[in-house]
Amino acid sequence: MLSGLGLTTFGILSARLYYLQVTRAEDYTVLSDNNRFNYHIIIPSRGRILDRSGEPLALNRQDYRLTLVAEQVPDVDATLDKINDVVPLSEKNRKRVFSDIKRHAKFVPVLIEDHLSWDQFAALNLRAPEIPGVVPQVGDVRSYPHHGVFSHVLGYVGSAGPSDVEKDNDPLLKQPTFRMGKTGVEAAVDKTLRGKSGRLKVEVNAVGRIVREWPEEENQAASGKDVWLTLDASLQKYAAELFEEDSGGVAVMDVMTGELRVLLSMPTFDGNLFVSGLTQKDMDEMNSDERRPQFNKVIGGGYPPASTFKMSVMLAVLKNKVINPKERIICSGKVRVGNRNFHCWKRRGHGPMDFMDALKHSCDTYFYEMAQRLSIDKVAEVATSLGLGQRFDLGIRGQTSGIVPTQVWKQKRLGQGWRMGDSLNAFIGQGFVLTTPLQLAVMAARIANGRKAVSPHLIIGDDAPKFGDLGVDHEHMAMVQKAMWRVCSEPGGTAYRHNALGFEGIEMAGKTGTGQVRGISASERASGVIHNRELPWKLRDHSIFVGYAPFNGPRFAVGTIVEHGGSGAKRAANITRALLKRVLENDGIPELLERDALR
Amino acid sequence: MSFWQPIKSRLYEINWLLPVLIYILGLVGVAMIFAATDGVWNNGAKQHLIRLVAAGLVMLVVALIDIKIWYHLAYPIFIIALIMLVAVDMWGVSINGSQRWLDLKFTRVQPSEIMKLAIVMALARYYHDLDRARVSHIIGLVIALIVIALPAQFILRQPDLGTTLLLTMTAIAMIFLAGVNWRVISSGIVAATIAIPVFFMFGLKEYQRARIRTFFDPSSDPTGAGYHITQSKIALGSGGVSGKGYMNGTQRQLEYVPENRTDFIFTVIGEEFGLVGSLATMALYILLIAMCVWMAMQCKHKFSKLLILGLTTTFALYVFINLAMVMGLAPVVGVPLPLISYGGTVILAVMIGFGLMLSAHLYRKSELPRGGR
Repeated sequence: MLSGLGLTTFGILSARLYYLQVTRAEDYTVLSDNNRFNYHIIIPSRGRILDRSGEPLALNRQDYRLTLVAEQVPDVDATLDKINDVVPLSEKNRKRVFSDIKRHAKFVPVLIEDHLSWDQFAALNLRAPEIPGVVPQVGDVRSYPHHGVFSHVLGYVGSAGPSDVEKDNDPLLKQPTFRMGKTGVEAAVDKTLRGKSGRLKVEVNAVGRIVREWPEEENQAASGKDVWLTLDASLQKYAAELFEEDSGGVAVMDVMTGELRVLLSMPTFDGNLFVSGLTQKDMDEMNSDERRPQFNKVIGGGYPPASTFKMSVMLAVLKNKVINPKERIICSGKVRVGNRNFHCWKRRGHGPMDFMDALKHSCDTYFYEMAQRLSIDKVAEVATSLGLGQRFDLGIRGQTSGIVPTQVWKQKRLGQGWRMGDSLNAFIGQGFVLTTPLQLAVMAARIANGRKAVSPHLIIGDDAPKFGDLGVDHEHMAMVQKAMWRVCSEPGGTAYRHNALGFEGIEMAGKTGTGQVRGISASERASGVIHNRELPWKLRDHSIFVGYAPFNGPRFAVGTIVEHGGSGAKRAANITRALLKRVLENDGIPELLERDALR
Repeated sequence: MSFWQPIKSRLYEINWLLPVLIYILGLVGVAMIFAATDGVWNNGAKQHLIRLVAAGLVMLVVALIDIKIWYHLAYPIFIIALIMLVAVDMWGVSINGSQRWLDLKFTRVQPSEIMKLAIVMALARYYHDLDRARVSHIIGLVIALIVIALPAQFILRQPDLGTTLLLTMTAIAMIFLAGVNWRVISSGIVAATIAIPVFFMFGLKEYQRARIRTFFDPSSDPTGAGYHITQSKIALGSGGVSGKGYMNGTQRQLEYVPENRTDFIFTVIGEEFGLVGSLATMALYILLIAMCVWMAMQCKHKFSKLLILGLTTTFALYVFINLAMVMGLAPVVGVPLPLISYGGTVILAVMIGFGLMLSAHLYRKSELPRGGR
């Protein structure tokens, strides 16, 4: 009877074995392979970002790090002490090493310190044999060789956050050492720069240690592709030097292709700091600076265009034929509209002004008169066609559209009707009107081009950009261009300099603007003693300038705003002149023209 | 010559087929431990072989001692074993949270292993001496139950659920073999159905309850106790019919199955030799058990018969429970696969057991004090 029981039991066991090893063998084989194999993600090296001539603006630097494999270290404390002789380790860092060791399996290398200098790394390599378990390693880290100058454009890279992982299921994002583009060009073309991850099939044991690699089944990582920008590294650096300690933005644009040679916001911050991890001190410094280094002013800052807006008004005036260009308006220094006085910037008045004179001298009175003859909506139409009040397809984020006000806009935005006073302010580029330095450059480029609505672009793509027609009468545009030439190249113009660019036969056209930041009180006006320089920085006028060159056969346009830089004829005009001179020189335009002249 | 002559003639009379089967299984053990330790000779395989040889010598000595002497020693050994269990309870050495070992300065012993043999001997003698008519009598039953309950209780406290179950089941089988009547058996089954849930709730430690719960639902704890069962089934199942080949088991190489040198060594056989190897191993065990039963049949005395059958029951239960556990049919209770699993105490205990069986068989015709009819 017991032997029967015994045989039954063995029968059950045999049946079970049959079930496991025959019926379900396949399932268990799959499970066994799942146990056995793992895929190691190989991080591709990130593509570089280059300027138009191939100069690297962002590249990968070898970073020297020191790691520790806990299972090979007899005494972690003593080991860290030994390392401390070569590389000083902070108390905080030591604690982190200990907690990292606890969190990971004993064979996983734990970071002790990265961003080591070559000297430290060499010294550690020399001592490594006597410190078991300490492994000096070389890894890739993003580097911006020009430090701040391209930071706003390039952005920076960082570890993927939870929201990134949610949006993108690329396995790379889950790798702790992987860095993805967070802002700027790095973010805009992240997929191109990132490349494709590789996979290495590895056999792992129950605790995750790799026991064998299967290189024949390796999926090579594909490095990220380089991205070329339209920017000119040397010119951008020169622009930054011209700004010195000032704050603002400048864009230099090719009037034919729309390529941006310079797209600079000042002051800058060093993108490398974001890669290595920002310290609290850096952060505080950046946040306490009233010039706001992190703010990308050239595309994100809205400023009153002031007198640079007058070109839009003039084109609208000509288009709508509200005045004969020969007709003169007498400027006495102020106009009374309703119960308010509106002043010209020149207190004593300009006297009689015709259309061309009004722009050359930037006579506000003339434009006050126009404001009473023409609807703001007509001006807005022209301003918009010139590129104001809109965002462009640059790829990078952080653009503001600025404001080109209309009657409808004010009704919608403020719930109030448009008043004559609003028009008077808007016609001289004050009041509601807001533009960015980039928009001013686009405006200058479109005026210079005259035919095509050129749009700026930054990242060199596969397709040559196509532009639509500007839709402005050529004769009208020629008049405005001539007026802008007078501003710069005829004695008496607000930005006149003899031979402004220093090249024989190359002249420039442009327009100054002085953007008011504060309302000027009647008593100040009466006394007239408060000079801009005597005001606190925050209350000083913005210095604005737009220009292009050469006047005959335009190539480059510039839009410059220097925050609180005073009169547009000074700071912004000087920067613009210098940049135009340099960009023409860089492209060999003066020599070309000379050769043509000789022929 | 005069001393060696009788021993020599006795040696010829020993049932050598049994040691041959034992050593075939033992060598399977050496080969599988060698594989389980990634082909390292010194990491268990060598020790296993040495222990087999050493324990084999002990088995021979035990076998050559007249069964009469073992009959007389049955009660004293049981009492010594019981005292040692009490000592373990009071001064035992704790390893892995269980207090199972007694430190005797020169060596460590596990009294529960001794008790496994001692209880069989004691019960065999008890029923040899007891009048057959009294086996089913209430007093006869109560004495037997006390003999079982005393050591069982101490072993459960260590705590060692596996050994407790093994001991109790062996003892109950012996009561049954002694010829208890059907009335008692059926009432015993009724009592057990009531007692087992009560025992589960109050007699077990939390980790023991968890193990049993996990057995019924391994996925509830995939990285803890359920991990053993899941990985063990994967190892067996992925072996298929013919296995992955000797030394080619991936589950084994990659250390997915814990304890695969000891309790889970059958997974290595199943993974590397498949269904064929598993069934062959089981066949060897069946052959060995059948051989023991055959030996029992040849014995004249009740003591010898019960001794052999009791020890065989213990051995068979070891095998059953271990295989059922590895195949996911029983909870993980920590019972080794005798002769194949690595572990010195178990080998020694099993070999002494076989020695006793050989002795009983060798002296099957010698005179024992007349017991009950």
